[in-house]
Amino acid sequence: MRVPSPALEPTLFAYSVREGGALRTSPELALKRVLAAGLPRVYELGPCLRARESGPWHASEFLMLEWYRAGATLPDLMYEVQDLVGTVAQALAQPAPAAWSRHPVRELFLQMCGLDLRSCSASDLSSRDPEDWDTAFFRRYLEEIEPRLTHPCFVEGWPASQAALATVRTDRDYARCERFEAYLGGIEIANAFQELGDARELRQRWIEANQERRAAGEPPHPIDELALDAIDRLPRCAGIALGVERLVAVLCGWRGIGPAQVPTTISDAQPTASAR
Amino acid sequence: MYETSDIRNGLKIEFDGQPYVVTYFQFVKPGKGTAFTRTKLKSLTSGNVLDRTFRTGEKLQPADIEEREMQYIYPEGNMRVFMDTTSFEQVMIEDSVLADDARWLIDEMMVRVLFWNGRPINIELPNFVELEITYCEPGVKGNTATGATKTAELSTGASVNVPLFVEQGETIKIDTRTGEYVERVRK
Repeated sequence: MRVPSPALEPTLFAYSVREGGALRTSPELALKRVLAAGLPRVYELGPCLRARESGPWHASEFLMLEWYRAGATLPDLMYEVQDLVGTVAQALAQPAPAAWSRHPVRELFLQMCGLDLRSCSASDLSSRDPEDWDTAFFRRYLEEIEPRLTHPCFVEGWPASQAALATVRTDRDYARCERFEAYLGGIEIANAFQELGDARELRQRWIEANQERRAAGEPPHPIDELALDAIDRLPRCAGIALGVERLVAVLCGWRGIGPAQVPTTISDAQPTASAR
Repeated sequence: MYETSDIRNGLKIEFDGQPYVVTYFQFVKPGKGTAFTRTKLKSLTSGNVLDRTFRTGEKLQPADIEEREMQYIYPEGNMRVFMDTTSFEQVMIEDSVLADDARWLIDEMMVRVLFWNGRPINIELPNFVELEITYCEPGVKGNTATGATKTAELSTGASVNVPLFVEQGETIKIDTRTGEYVERVRK
């Protein structure tokens, strides 16, 4: 599906289409326009395409289940994830996962690294080459925290700089975004937002993401004016995107998404229809 | 310089001034962050394993590593002498560098010598060696019970645990990776 601007996030890379636009990395902006137009509950199950991602748990083309609900909060979505995972496990004749727990990411860093995210610097987080705070944060997270998240859990309260399209809250000097990631079997299977409904703020984030892209020598993504126009009419809502192959692979005990994937290749992907 | 996309099992890199070989790698990408490659790095000098993560775009320093098939010829003081059987060039490696590997060296044994920046840093032994027992307590006839062992001294000076039925003067096979007795060898 061809879209004018595939993603806001600076670390997602889209496949560009010769005729203009790009293949979508997520259906997020399109679904938000539907929500803004008045449908209170929307979902889509469909392929997403991301360049430069390949490995046992990544593929350039994968199946995403994304759903949004007006009036919902993050805890509502946590219940829905637990329900969905239990139902899929049953359908696959696999045992239901153990009870889910919730972990604020700041507590994980305090417990496992002895660091307070509110006050620590990039060099506290990583002794490697000088790097920006978020990179140092993720390096530490990947090396010391994520490998220990083997039980089903929701990791929440991510630093505000990693909000993407989520709302941000500040509690006692710690600015965090209202976003969670769902982990099953040590693998991140889903990411949820309390959705940002402020077009001015979103435009600002879009500009900053494009500055980051340019600084990294990447082409900026054009600002999606239709999506921005819809954001101001977005009802208060929460939304979530879940990697379907990852869920199936984890429940089946596979060591990657390969066996769960429908055999297609990126070279088959043709921009047959424009999304809008 | 290597890119993170060059990372493969067996890739030899220099990290924090020491040579390592990649023994495991996986592409990882946090939900809202930049991509990384998670690796296990095995030290080519000590064999210790590190868990390290490299950000996409980060450069890795190649390690100048050369491996050569050489023959062990003799000990000299606290050194061991190896020879290239084609060029007859000799290199000496300290026992302290070889650590436990020195226990299994027999005259004329072929090993792979690892050079880092032209300097020998380690050897790779054959997986199995056969050595004669120079001393052990007499065997107990018919005792093949598993578990019970005694210590045997070998012709290289090394000691290993062997089953009770094994006799002095016999030749035994040892796994150099674990340093453990495998079986008796009939000569």
